Amino acid sequence: MAEYIIRRTLQMIVVFFIFLVTSYLLFNAIPGNAFQNLLLNPELPPDAYERVLKTYGLDKPLMERVQLYVVNFFKGDFGYSYKYFPKTPIELIAERLPRTLMLFAIVNIVAFYTGFLVGKILAWKRGSKSETWITVTSVFSYTVFYPWFALMMLWFFGYKMGWFPIGKFLYPEKWYDAPWDSDVIFVLMIKFTAIISLFQFIAYLLTRGIESLTQRRNIRFGSLLVIFISSYIFWNYGDALTKKPYAADIAYHMILPVIVVTIVAFAGTALLTRTTMVEVIKEDYILTARAKGLSQKRIRDRHAARTALLPVVTSFIFTIVTIIDGSVLTETIFSWPGMGQLLLQSVLEEDIPVAMATFSFVGVFALIAHLVADISYSYLDPRIRIKSQG
Amino acid sequence: MSKKITQQEELQKQIRKDALRKNWKLFSQSKLGMIGLYIVCFFLFLALLQPFLFITGIWNPAIYDPVVGYDQIKAELLVIECPKEYPTEKYESYSDCPGPGEVNIKKLYMAPDLKVGEYYDTFIQPAPPSKTHLLGTDSLGRDIFSQIMEGSQVAFVLGLLSATLGVGISTILGTIAAFFGGRVDAYLMRQSDLILMLPSLPLLFIISAFAELKVWHLAVVLGVLGGLGGSVITIKSQALQVKVKPYVDSARITGGSKWQILFQHILPNVAPLALLFMVFSVTGAIASESVLSFLGLLNIDMSWGIMIYLSQTDGFIFSGLDFWWLILPAGLAVTFLAGGFYLVGRGLDEVFNPRLRKR
Repeated sequence: MAEYIIRRTLQMIVVFFIFLVTSYLLFNAIPGNAFQNLLLNPELPPDAYERVLKTYGLDKPLMERVQLYVVNFFKGDFGYSYKYFPKTPIELIAERLPRTLMLFAIVNIVAFYTGFLVGKILAWKRGSKSETWITVTSVFSYTVFYPWFALMMLWFFGYKMGWFPIGKFLYPEKWYDAPWDSDVIFVLMIKFTAIISLFQFIAYLLTRGIESLTQRRNIRFGSLLVIFISSYIFWNYGDALTKKPYAADIAYHMILPVIVVTIVAFAGTALLTRTTMVEVIKEDYILTARAKGLSQKRIRDRHAARTALLPVVTSFIFTIVTIIDGSVLTETIFSWPGMGQLLLQSVLEEDIPVAMATFSFVGVFALIAHLVADISYSYLDPRIRIKSQG
Repeated sequence: MSKKITQQEELQKQIRKDALRKNWKLFSQSKLGMIGLYIVCFFLFLALLQPFLFITGIWNPAIYDPVVGYDQIKAELLVIECPKEYPTEKYESYSDCPGPGEVNIKKLYMAPDLKVGEYYDTFIQPAPPSKTHLLGTDSLGRDIFSQIMEGSQVAFVLGLLSATLGVGISTILGTIAAFFGGRVDAYLMRQSDLILMLPSLPLLFIISAFAELKVWHLAVVLGVLGGLGGSVITIKSQALQVKVKPYVDSARITGGSKWQILFQHILPNVAPLALLFMVFSVTGAIASESVLSFLGLLNIDMSWGIMIYLSQTDGFIFSGLDFWWLILPAGLAVTFLAGGFYLVGRGLDEVFNPRLRKR
C-alpha cells in the first residue's frame, strides 16, 4: 500500500507539471493580452504599451516565459496580478475563497442531507404514486436548465415578491462605517458554521449505537436545542454582538442563492441514493432482517440505508472537488464575488498569474481528492484491486 | 455445408430478435422510461417537421425562417391619455397604464395628429401567440415556434454526436486500461486525471476564445473532453469485473489472441453500460451547449440557449410573465429534452441491471 501511494504521488507530480505547462500554453493561445486596451488610449505616449509589456515580462518568447513561470511556481512565487497590480494571486484567493466556501459548504451539506433522505424514501416507497411524483420533480430539478431557472427564481423572489435582494453579497450602505472587512465576518461565520456542524455530527456518531429509536431521536433533538441556545448566547454577548448586524446582512443575501442551488443540487444525490438503495434492498440480509420481524423503518434506516450510503459519500467527495468549477455560473448570476467569479474574470481578462494560480488551486485539490477516493475505494470494494493499476 | 451455415445464421438472427423483443418488453414496463421516450420522440418530430414544412411550402421561409424571417404583425391600439394621479377607476397604479391594446398619447411622437379615442395602426414586436404564430414572435419579428424546432435540431445533432464520440473513446480506452493494466492503465488514468483537473466551464471559455465554435466543433470538443475524462474510470471499473469472468479465461485457454478477447468478449459485455452512459451524457451535452450559448460564446445562429440569451439581453427576462412566450418555451424545451433522455437512461438501466427491476 505504501509503495502504491509513493508511486502514485510521483505520478501526480508529473501530471501536475504537465497540467501547469498545458494551462499556461492555453492561456497564451487566447488572442491578445491583458494590456491591449492601452493601445486604444490616445493620451498615452506611443511606447507606453511596449514599456508595460517589458515591465511584466510579456515581451519575452513564450517558451522562456513558461520555463520562468514553472520554476518560480515551484519556488512558491506566483507573481503579481495584472489587473489588481500590487496584490498577489494568493492574496486575491485568500480574499475570495471564504465567500465561496461559506455559500457552497452550506448548500452541499443541506443538499446532501435532503437528497439522501428523499432518495431513501423514494426507494422504499417503490411503485407507489408518491414515488412517481417525487421522481418526476427530482428529475425536473436535476435536468432543469440552471441559469434560466436561477434567473426565474431571482425574478420571482427578488423582483416580484421583493423578499430577497437581487445579487451582491451585502448592502454597501450598511458597511460605510463598519470597523471590519467583510472577510473578517466571513471567517467568523465559517468558524461558527463549522463548529455547529461538527457538534451535530459528533452527536450523530455518538447516538448511532443507541438501540431505541425514540430515545435516539430525543437525544438528537436535545443536541439541536443545545446548539440553538448556545448560538443565541454566542451572537448576543461579547465580541460577536457588534458583528451581528453585519453577519445578518451577509446571511440575508445568502438565502436565495442557497435555496436555488440546493433545489438543483439535491436531486443528483436523491436519484443516486435511490438507485443504490433499490439494489441493496434486493440483498439477502434485508430478507433476513424482514424474517427476523424487525420494523420497516428500522430495516430502512439501519440495514439498507447505511450500505447504500457508501457510493453516495464517494460521489459527495467528487462534488466537493467541483465546488469552485461549479460556482462559476452561480456566482455570475447572483453577482457573488467569490472564487468562481475570480476564475472567470481572470480567464476573460487574461490575467494570467491569477488564472494560473486559481487553476492550479483547483487542480491540486482535484488530484488529492482522486487519490483519497481511490484509496478509500480499495478499502471498501475489494473488486477494484489497486495492484492492477500499476 | 453452406446450408448448415445459413441455418446457424438464421438461428443467431432469431436469438437476437428474441433478445431485442425481451428487452423492449422490459423497457416498456418502466412507466417513466416510456414517458422519457415519448418526450424524446416529440422533440425528434419537431426537429424533422420544420424542413418538411419549408419544403412543402406550408411555411414561407421569408416569414418563418428562424434566423432571418420577419413578419409584420399589425395591431390597432386605442389612443388614451394616462391620468396624473392614481388610483383611478380603471388603473390601480402607474404601471397599469396603458393597459393591453392601448397606447399613451404622450408616447406618440411619430404621429402627432392623433387624438384621444382614435385608433393607432402599428406593428408590434414581440407579438403574442396567434393562429399564424403559435408561440408568438421575438423582438425581431421571428417565429418562436420555428426557433424551437431549429433548436431541437441543434440539440439532437450536438447531443447525439458528442455522446457517441465520447462514449466510443471512453469505452475503448477503459477496456484497454482494464485489460492490459500496468503502465498502459497508469498512463490512461493519469490522463483522465489531467482532464478532470481542468475546470470545465473556464476551459470551454478559453477554447471558444481562440476557436470559433460551431455546432460540429463544439460536439467534437465536448465529446473528446467527456470521453477522456471521468467516464474512462467508470467504464474501466466495469471492465475489470468482466475481465475476471470465467468465459474470458476459457477464451484465453483455447488460444484466443489478446485483441480477439478484448473485442469479442470484453467489449460486448461492457457495451450495455456504455450505451447507458451515452444516454446520460446526452443530457450533459445539451446542458453545456445551452450554457455556452446563454453566455454568448458560441458561433451558432440559433439554439435554445441563444433564445434565452436574446430574451435576457433584450431585457425581457425580468419583465415577468407578460412576455412568457419569450422566456418559457426555450427554457422548458432544454429542461424537458434533457429530462427525457435522463428518463430513457433510467429505463435502460432497469433493462441492463436486473437488480433494479421491481420483481
